[in-house]
Amino acid sequence: MSHSESPMAAALLSGGVAADQEIVIERPNGERVAAMVRINLLHEAAGGLVGAAGCFQVIGERPEPDEQLQFSQRDLEDFFENGVVALHWVGPDGRILRANQAELDLLGYESEEYVGQHIAEFHVDRDVIDDILARLSCHEKLERYPARLRTKSGEIRHVLISSNVYSRDGEFVHTRCLTLDVTERHLAQLDLQESERRSRELLEALPAAIYTTDTNGALTFYNEAAAELWGVRPDLGTSYWCGSWRLFWPDGTPVPHDECPMAIALKENRVVRNVEAIAERPDGTRVPFMPYPTPLHDADYRLVGAVNMLIDLTHLKQAHRRQQLLINELNHRVKNTLATIQSIAHQTFRGKTDEDLKQRFEKRLIALAKTHDILTREDWRGADLRELISRLIEFACDAGERATVDGPSVLLPQRAVVPLAMAIHELCTNASKYGALTDPAGCIVIEWRLLAGGTRLQLRWVESGGPPVQAPARRGFGTRLLEQGLRHELRADCKLTFEPSGMAFEMDMPLSAAPAT
Amino acid sequence: MVRVLIVEDEALIAMLFEDLVQELGFDGHAYGTSNDALAALETLSFDVAILDVNLGTSLSYPVADALAARGVPFAFATGYGSGGVDPKYRGVTVMRKPIERGALKAVLEQLGPSPQHNPE
Repeated sequence: MSHSESPMAAALLSGGVAADQEIVIERPNGERVAAMVRINLLHEAAGGLVGAAGCFQVIGERPEPDEQLQFSQRDLEDFFENGVVALHWVGPDGRILRANQAELDLLGYESEEYVGQHIAEFHVDRDVIDDILARLSCHEKLERYPARLRTKSGEIRHVLISSNVYSRDGEFVHTRCLTLDVTERHLAQLDLQESERRSRELLEALPAAIYTTDTNGALTFYNEAAAELWGVRPDLGTSYWCGSWRLFWPDGTPVPHDECPMAIALKENRVVRNVEAIAERPDGTRVPFMPYPTPLHDADYRLVGAVNMLIDLTHLKQAHRRQQLLINELNHRVKNTLATIQSIAHQTFRGKTDEDLKQRFEKRLIALAKTHDILTREDWRGADLRELISRLIEFACDAGERATVDGPSVLLPQRAVVPLAMAIHELCTNASKYGALTDPAGCIVIEWRLLAGGTRLQLRWVESGGPPVQAPARRGFGTRLLEQGLRHELRADCKLTFEPSGMAFEMDMPLSAAPAT
Repeated sequence: MVRVLIVEDEALIAMLFEDLVQELGFDGHAYGTSNDALAALETLSFDVAILDVNLGTSLSYPVADALAARGVPFAFATGYGSGGVDPKYRGVTVMRKPIERGALKAVLEQLGPSPQHNPE
């Protein structure tokens, strides 16, 4: 009530008496007092109005029901206006009747720019707001209805709208609409979807067969390469452990799916490596493959599933078979060529040379062939030093117990095998013809060790117990090979000594260095 | 004299076989193909045989089977080693090439009557 409309003003203006009017007075501290007001006009003797006297009678310091009502109204107003949740009312015509600060803040509008406008103007999707209004007009209650709003600056906010209608006597009065901004959550979800999509795309793009399972082993994903390898498209969620039609171990025994490497990885919660298996497709074709089952864990290292990659070994196996065939063929040719050389020598020296020389030639040839045998068996990767020495001794001098062969396991590099074998053969021949083995008491010690972290090989051949040794007057094939040949080809430091007690050969050879250039 | 059937397609190696067999005191007869060897088997009796497995375009297994049917002991000689022989002939001695004189002697003595005990 403005002061100009107060009972006093009314009395003065009208010139009448305002008797017993009930008013409420507000004090500066906000307290309110209900009072009865009586205004008496004051007149001069001549009858002119000179003033008025107001008499207030307090009718109660706290007029309880009335004031409480006012308080609760105020609280509700405050709740509507200043609550952190965006609220608005929309009338039956779709126009905004009222909106609170949180709603205005959400969209960046001032009250006068917003209230009075049609709600659809602020929606991005016309069909969405039409549906919302249609539902509300049927007095349907909306709960967390997803929609998109456009802010004053043009940004799009993702919201969930919950709303119902306030009606009086069945008449639509206005909606009660609560708008929850979920833009951040929505964007985070989009990010997550995008990253999941990218992961899948990545897995799809890989040429290797890949699939995943949950903790129970149920398939949750497989890529195109996996379907191709299996020759079948198993159902996700109901196929377990492996999507293959049938599984076998390399020896052909069947593998029950729940005992396959992936099942082991999940059941024992560990990676499984270096196993091979064979998948049989429904059409009967078989694919040898190597699985790489790996358990997957969450941030707390709880098992959440597993991923498996299947590497198709078909081509590898074929290549290996072809390689084996070629090596066998090569070996066969080499052997036949050596046999042909043997025959040529035999025909050439027939009846013209002493038998001893012919035999020495043949033995060298056969020592070479035996060395090739060892190399072939090792796929030409190299040869085990102990086996090489033992085989050559057995072949050339059959020293038996009289030869001690002692040293660590060494795989001689392929390039060193033939020269070293030929050198050892010469030592064997020499020992049985002139050296320690010509005496029943004589013996040979052959020992070696690795130096410099396995990059150097030190080998000693020491004879003893044979007849007194004399240095040979002439450098023969064996001596040249031992003293110069090994240095030339293998960069080995070699030393031949002819002590009267027995000859000795010492060699120090790089194992990993490149051959001499 | 102990008669040795030799089946070897490469002439030089066949000659070597004949020479070595002869030097060891046996009577060697070399043939280059399975058919020649099978034909020889019809007219001559052999005490023992050495068969090269791979005869270029064919294998010597028909000869091996004919020998087995006649009860003539035989050994294979191959550059492949024992891996180059059909598993069905497991148990048959396999010699390697080039030919080791001592090994050939041992095989012939093990398979057949010794050259001193001439069956004829």
